[in-house]
Amino acid sequence: MTAVAPLFSDPYRQRFAELMARRREPDAIAKLRRAAFDRFEKQGLPTRQQEAWRLTDLSALQAIGWQRPGDVPVDTGTLPTLDKTPTHRLVFVNGRFAPGLSRLRDLRGKTLIASLGQALLTHPELIEPHLDRLPGLKNQPFADLNTAFWEDGVLIYLPHGTVVETPIHLIFHTTGDSVAVHPRLLLVMEAQTQATVVVEYGGQGRYLHGPLAELAVGEGAVLDYHQLQEEAPGAFHLGGIRLRQKRASQANLHLIALGGQLARVDLDALLDGEGARCQINGLTLARNQQFSDVHVRVEHAQPHGTSEQVFKSVLDDKARTVFDGMIHVRQHAQKTDARQTNRNLLLSRQAQAQANPRLEILADDVKCGHGSSTGFLDPDAEFYLRARGIPVAQARALLVHAFANDSLNRIHLTPLRERLARLLAGRLALDFLEEEKP
Amino acid sequence: MLEIRNLHVTVEGREILKGIDLAIHPGETHAIMGPNGSGKSTLANVIAGREGYIVTQGEILFEGKNLLDMDPETRACEGLFLAFQYPVEIPGVANLYFLKAAVNAVRKYRGESSVDAMDFWELVNERMALVKMDESMLKRSVNEGFSGGEKKRNEIFQMAVLQPRFAVLDETDSGLDIDALKVVADGVNALRSPERGFLVITHYQRLLDYIVPDQVHVLFNGKIARSGGKELALELEEQGYALYNEEPGRARRAAA
Ligand SMILES: Nc1ncnc2c1ncn2[C@@H]1O[C@H](COP(=O)(O)OP(=O)(O)O)[C@@H](O)[C@H]1O
Ligand SMILES: [Mg+2]
Repeated sequence: MTAVAPLFSDPYRQRFAELMARRREPDAIAKLRRAAFDRFEKQGLPTRQQEAWRLTDLSALQAIGWQRPGDVPVDTGTLPTLDKTPTHRLVFVNGRFAPGLSRLRDLRGKTLIASLGQALLTHPELIEPHLDRLPGLKNQPFADLNTAFWEDGVLIYLPHGTVVETPIHLIFHTTGDSVAVHPRLLLVMEAQTQATVVVEYGGQGRYLHGPLAELAVGEGAVLDYHQLQEEAPGAFHLGGIRLRQKRASQANLHLIALGGQLARVDLDALLDGEGARCQINGLTLARNQQFSDVHVRVEHAQPHGTSEQVFKSVLDDKARTVFDGMIHVRQHAQKTDARQTNRNLLLSRQAQAQANPRLEILADDVKCGHGSSTGFLDPDAEFYLRARGIPVAQARALLVHAFANDSLNRIHLTPLRERLARLLAGRLALDFLEEEKP
Repeated sequence: MLEIRNLHVTVEGREILKGIDLAIHPGETHAIMGPNGSGKSTLANVIAGREGYIVTQGEILFEGKNLLDMDPETRACEGLFLAFQYPVEIPGVANLYFLKAAVNAVRKYRGESSVDAMDFWELVNERMALVKMDESMLKRSVNEGFSGGEKKRNEIFQMAVLQPRFAVLDETDSGLDIDALKVVADGVNALRSPERGFLVITHYQRLLDYIVPDQVHVLFNGKIARSGGKELALELEEQGYALYNEEPGRARRAAA
């Protein structure tokens, strides 16, 4: 271990040195951290001169000297549940695993669902070969920050053929100002496995969540992954997801973004086996001065893959959203079927949605398409509803609901879908929606 | 029950209606005929309260109340109904759900409680049978992917469920085959009563064989050029609208 130099002027250096002095972990992991930190130091935080960050203004984030949360106990309030559905539940408060709030159920054989920090002590052999091994997010400084600074998170390891029916519910809750937490999620699904994962981010204050999820989906495996970003209004969320799919696997990703003053998710999906199928369903609701950004890259590396991205956002007030979506089809990936849709609904003249759909197709026998649209509520539809007696506010809410509900309907995990439907109705003041379920 | 006095309307700065007078009493059905572009839909839209139609002169009274002061939903809650010439598709809003929201909005306006689920279902089933509508259409999004005929049928179905006091039908017959036309006419006739009024806008006389009007008005170039009994419709069928124009040749083409 390198000696700790005193009094770094750079808060990131200071924090990193403290972290390295504190942690006892295998050399391989420490090496990863150092390499990631070196990359981060060389690059620094992104600026708007960089193409991928052209539309993301990080000045508010940059102005804050981020610290590790202290050890003071925090009141998390009521944490979310999936109704009465039994779950494997892991809760992290200010980045630290909270066993008292968690509930781990019995698992068969070698299957493991555990705090990553603990698993590093008990099962390093499951972590070392997989951590930071997936491609993607190569020049993403927040991914490097995570690799350098993560202190805890979750390891999910499913050996060949394992089906975990019970949803895995991961909750990251942070309270505080100027505190940064970088949770790490490592999901290793061997061949023919199945899992349903729900990850929730939330908290109170002006904190930063910089999570990184690595999802390795083996041959024929099926993953349902839900990410619900419900950060506090003043919070920052800069997250990354690396997904790699093997042959004939299926990944269904749901990315719901609701909170934060500045939120961005970078997703890098690699379809690295024949016939892999990937569905990505994104819904963003943004209001006030919120800025919410999604950068997606879906790369087809092998033939016969299918991918479908549907990203929707609803913007009110002065909110801004960015959707940057790339479909890349390698020369070898013939018979690829890749589609991408981005639809933005503006509820205010001052809201702004930017879309940047891109295709890079090197194979010649593929079906690829993308479409993007941004618009206000359809005045004809609004008039039609009003002409039947429905008050204008309700008519508008109904139309917004119809737009967003299409995304929620893609979620098969019923308790989550219903919770989100209630949340959406609440935001739109659609109390009347609940009474109706024919 | 509906009284239109000296109504002048401009759209995008152009005067479309140039002084309309019309009085329809309870129990009466009036027909408005006229060539394309004569202002029939403009009149229907002004009655329903659509934005973008500027009333520069005149007034519309509905049961003695000033209709032009009311927003569209208030007009509907007061008992006015417009069957749209071009019904709007609303993806994501189920037909049945929409209808129930409408029924409850009207009930709320009248100070009544929300409709009982069983009563509503009974009413819906009865009215569905009236317009020979398939139950599957209830679950589908409002008008989404409906054929032209299904859309028109859906309008009449909504009218039958909402049971307005006064209904304007804007070319509900256009694009329908004879069987569908009869279904629409049956739906309207079933609702005709001494308390209800109808304004049936049509381009063709055909519909009026089935919905027999008390009066027929010819709308031409933003004015009611002529009014008469149901025979007027037959006369128009034979002679077209040529008589109403200073330039007969152009009118003949327009009416074709
Ligand atoms: N919303 C509108 N915007 C612009 N012009 C309109 C609009 N509605 C009607 N008009 C114009 O008003 C005239 C009458 O149209 P309309 O009332 O639809 O006639 P009709 O229903 O008799 O065919 C036409 O010249 C039409 O172009
Ligand atoms: Mg018309």
